[in-house]
Amino acid sequence: MKVLTQKKLNAWLANLLQTTVVAAPVEAQGKLVYRKIDEVSQIVLDFERTDMSPKTWLFPMTEPILFIEQGVETKLKEPPKPEPIVLFGVRPCDARSLLAFDALFLDKAPEDPQYARHRESTTLVGLSCPQMWESCFCTAVGGAPNSTDGLDILLTQIEEGYAVEVLTEKGKKISANLVFEEKKTSLPDPKLIQGLPSLSKTDEWMALFNDLYWEQLSNSCLSCRACSFVCPTCRCFDVRDELTAIKPGLKKFERLRAWDTCTASGYRRIAGGHNPRDSQKKRLRNRFFCKFMFYPDDFGPLGCVGCGRCIDVCPAGIDILEVIANVEKMTEREKVGG
Amino acid sequence: MTSMDVQIRKTAKKYLDEGKVSCVIGYERDSRGRVRPAFIEKPEDADHLIWSSECSLNLVTYLHQRKLSPGKDQPVPKTAVVVRPCDVRAVNLLFAEEQIKRENIKLIGLTCAGTEINGQQRINCKFCQERVPVIYDVLIESDQPIEIPTDKDIYADLEEMESWTAEERLAFWTKEFDRCIRCYACRQACPGCYCFECVAEQVDPHWTSIALDKPEKMFFHVMRAYHLAGRCVGCDACEAACPMDIPLSKLNRKIAKEILDMFDYRTGDTPEDAPLLTCFNPDERLRT
Repeated sequence: MKVLTQKKLNAWLANLLQTTVVAAPVEAQGKLVYRKIDEVSQIVLDFERTDMSPKTWLFPMTEPILFIEQGVETKLKEPPKPEPIVLFGVRPCDARSLLAFDALFLDKAPEDPQYARHRESTTLVGLSCPQMWESCFCTAVGGAPNSTDGLDILLTQIEEGYAVEVLTEKGKKISANLVFEEKKTSLPDPKLIQGLPSLSKTDEWMALFNDLYWEQLSNSCLSCRACSFVCPTCRCFDVRDELTAIKPGLKKFERLRAWDTCTASGYRRIAGGHNPRDSQKKRLRNRFFCKFMFYPDDFGPLGCVGCGRCIDVCPAGIDILEVIANVEKMTEREKVGG
Repeated sequence: MTSMDVQIRKTAKKYLDEGKVSCVIGYERDSRGRVRPAFIEKPEDADHLIWSSECSLNLVTYLHQRKLSPGKDQPVPKTAVVVRPCDVRAVNLLFAEEQIKRENIKLIGLTCAGTEINGQQRINCKFCQERVPVIYDVLIESDQPIEIPTDKDIYADLEEMESWTAEERLAFWTKEFDRCIRCYACRQACPGCYCFECVAEQVDPHWTSIALDKPEKMFFHVMRAYHLAGRCVGCDACEAACPMDIPLSKLNRKIAKEILDMFDYRTGDTPEDAPLLTCFNPDERLRT
């Protein structure tokens, strides 16, 4: 396998920084987030999981999708093309979330132009996990700590430095000038968590749609947006034309899209005030059904990569893995005719 | 299992058996051993209830889900809630603001030596001067002696912030709110925030942009702090809920301190206290 020493990796990154934007995990007031770096020394690679996922680089928290000038005539302008960027130090679970994003924003017409632009200009360099961390469950949802899905290059930490797998044309392009050492050892197997529940099939989820369980589960839900905002696969958003300037005879707007989520109480409220998901039970149930039933049914991939951030962040202690386990139990009970 | 666990379970069972309430809100442990809210509706489930220093959530916010009649001609549900001294002031606030009726609530009060998050004692616990709730239906006392500190200023941690200039304070909060993700966990966890449609989310009038950028986040937090003036009880549920560990309570408790200094008023002393900033009291005087 191809091997790079830490020194060579740092040199490569420093070189990349000369010509392209690099975003990597950095510490921001005690939290780990993916930010643009100026120096290689800013990068934190000794981590389990970052606090926010790197989806912010392909699907920003707030993004103008159109600029509008309303004067004598109406003028429209598209936002500038995003600059090419290398996203460095991406965990395999976070990279897999791109499968969910691509299925919606690219594979299903109409294509989302902003997402498509970000996707095309982003190269992902992954860092595989030597083990599954405390709230992880990637293996229960089709992933693995060393999965290559969605990545252009995957690095695995080994004694000599990093084993490097160049996976795509994009990966080849940014590593073209690298000289690797060849080593004849195989990659270490990551340590897995045993005994995880198995995810029930979409029709098994559907059979439980009206179960009382969802009412009980949602009692403690606060209908905040924390779980969805730290989630690497959540992709719902709000759109609003925000006024940016007003002069006699001229109004300027930017059409903003900003993160939103089905867990928020007003998310599904429509003109006239009707809200099809007016109870916590309906909203929380939708969150789990979207991830494990509606989304895979409509688009293919699951809406969850097993990163476990929502488990750590939920102020009300709601645990998605526990939900999967309970659905497995309830499905078994149905099968036995109980 | 401690003696407090036993007493909490006994009280919950009794209330449910006697039909005094249809739900007891307390704390339980999940399959990972972490503490989370429990909603006990059957007497036999009362054995899930626990109490420990990890019980840092304010359960009073859940009373908002149970304050209205569920349907035509149905009575408002009766609820029992496990409350710490800080939480119970929020209950008094909700009584005073006529959100909940005294006869629909049973308060299972606990004496409390302080709670922690991830092993660290919460900031308001460090300076708390009351270890016994100001109102309760049943008081469950710890079998360990609890000291009531008499010489600690409950707002002592704010002194440092008060010594800063306006520019320094702005710099501090700009830095802190940089990692805010406008998830509203602070607002949802707060027992005093119960507006059906928050100013931050109103479509018409559109007070603030939907953007999750610095100006909007600053606006949200400052606006929320002002809307809690005279209403914040200093329970720090906001800070406990924040996924980004932003020291939110500093902002809200600073305003609570101003109210105390100006009007000699601390929110939540009794259920009958008229809300300070919404009711005109001809006897009130600004302290000079």
